Amino acid sequence: MQPRVTDLQEIGAVWRGETVRATRSGRVVVLLLLFMMFVGLSLTIVGFLSSQLSAKAEEQAKSAGVDLNDEKVKTQFNEGKKQFLSVVITDDEEMLDSLLALPVVLLFVFKLTLRFVPLLIALMGFDQMAGELGPKSIRFLVVRVKRTNLILGKFLSQVTIFAALLAVCTILMVVVARILNDDFAAKDVVIWTLRLLASSFVLAVAYLALTTLCSSIVKSGAVALVLNIMILFGIWALAFVGENFAFPGTVKADDGNLLALLRTESWAAYLQYFSVWHYGQDLLHPAPLRFAVAALVHLGFALVFLGLAQLALKKRDL
Amino acid sequence: MSQPAIRLEKLSKHFGLKRAVDDVSFEVQEGNTYGLIGPNGAGKTTTFSMMCGYLFPTAGSIRILGADPFEPGALKGKVGVLPQDAILPPQWPVGALLTYFGQLSGLPNAEAEAKRVLERVQLPETWNLYANQLSHGMAKRVSMAQALMGSPPVIFLDEPTAGLDPKIAASVRSIIRELKGNHTVVVSSHNLQELEELCDASAILDKGKLVSAATMADLTGRLAEFRVQIAKGEVPLLEVKAQSGVKDARLEPNKVLCVTFDGQAVEPEEIITRVVGLLAQRNVLFLTVWLGKKLEEKVLQLT
Repeated sequence: MQPRVTDLQEIGAVWRGETVRATRSGRVVVLLLLFMMFVGLSLTIVGFLSSQLSAKAEEQAKSAGVDLNDEKVKTQFNEGKKQFLSVVITDDEEMLDSLLALPVVLLFVFKLTLRFVPLLIALMGFDQMAGELGPKSIRFLVVRVKRTNLILGKFLSQVTIFAALLAVCTILMVVVARILNDDFAAKDVVIWTLRLLASSFVLAVAYLALTTLCSSIVKSGAVALVLNIMILFGIWALAFVGENFAFPGTVKADDGNLLALLRTESWAAYLQYFSVWHYGQDLLHPAPLRFAVAALVHLGFALVFLGLAQLALKKRDL
Repeated sequence: MSQPAIRLEKLSKHFGLKRAVDDVSFEVQEGNTYGLIGPNGAGKTTTFSMMCGYLFPTAGSIRILGADPFEPGALKGKVGVLPQDAILPPQWPVGALLTYFGQLSGLPNAEAEAKRVLERVQLPETWNLYANQLSHGMAKRVSMAQALMGSPPVIFLDEPTAGLDPKIAASVRSIIRELKGNHTVVVSSHNLQELEELCDASAILDKGKLVSAATMADLTGRLAEFRVQIAKGEVPLLEVKAQSGVKDARLEPNKVLCVTFDGQAVEPEEIITRVVGLLAQRNVLFLTVWLGKKLEEKVLQLT
């Protein structure tokens, strides 16, 4: 008798099987260690630089006879921090106010981690489909499961494994930041852990889908990995180029802003909108609408990548 | 006559300028064991892969139990496949892998079914072994086991005994024989003796084209000729030709007497007994008698 199986059941079966397979292999442990090493190294370097700067500032304050516990001094310190962040992170006032509660070490390590995440995802999933296409083991699967469900199941398995890795490393990051910063209040620790997790998870979904796409269009895992990394550099290059040009007609209107004057007007500024990386900034934005829009854009990119992956696998000879 | 379980109509597959399969049509009746025969590069595996839904045809159509194999999910539960060159995923223990395949097929008790098919291919001891720890023969039989999961009505076996030792090959052939009648089986193989023994009908391909598609009896002429291996003595050819129902008689190289007869007018056993009796009367000693020509001879003649 022919069994009746819904698409959801098929996706669920692939998801369970692939997740078990991945956790059984040593790769997850290696990736976790890699992720933790990166976080650890970033924490060490950024923590060291931050403590050096703090020590110097304290020394200068002490020689000038300034009391660092004075509210006025604290306000001035926060203003200085905001100014620094406005140069290196964002010039959005609302976001800058929100970021004041976050230890600088944690903020910088998190930002570095976001750059590392797409590469980690590529390493994790480059052969999810290519590893089946090359040795043709996919032939055992496609007589049992629709090609589209196979991709979705495998993608969800990657999402699950990455979410676990991300949770471990984000908690590690926050715990270390809490140890290094007494000012990092318990309430803020909880809120920021959730916000960091949510933003990096949403960001990761688009890159997870990109990796699934790359793995679905070539038969060799190595080629899929190289292709994935090349596309990542393309995405970053688009964002970098776009964000470092001013939109045509905006420099004159904004001539009071020194930073804007430093930038050249060009249509190339529009390129930033084609890069998913450009929208990552708003994933930490305190305004729910800004976060929601950024999240939707990431999900949109993920859907496009997954759609292309589906199309590639559906139309190809196996 | 039973319904065709598999129907190929004007099927073609081109890889660039190369016509791997060119305008091939044949039918496989339900419950038959069907052979795909041909030399290397004949298009057997390409035809096989299109029937399994792995390769999209350039032209033509395929129906498996009335379904288009390229319709998503069309083959689920209907087809079991032993692909020739697919490698079992190495990161799985065999038992878990077969259970996973069973779950993907939607089998209600996948683990029990995995154990059953592994017993059937006589490899229960491999349950906890990883796929990359299996020998070639073991991997082939595990692949065979996954094709049998859920007892699908149509089973495709691409080179099921290639690389197996004679004893294991015989056990695989015995499994295929057991499938006869209850399953439609398509076997692609270079081992013509094996196909002759197992198959009810066959398609012979050469350079991508179908050169013959017929029952094994028709292909080997079982109903039209028989051969006698002569050991000693002078064959009375004229007397043999004079027997009623005999159309022709001739001596082939290596002292083989080939007798062509009218299969419609006379039963093979009757004509064989008469001719053999005549040879015995004339003191002609012989070693063996076989019906038709060997499939190998027919294939060599056609390709």
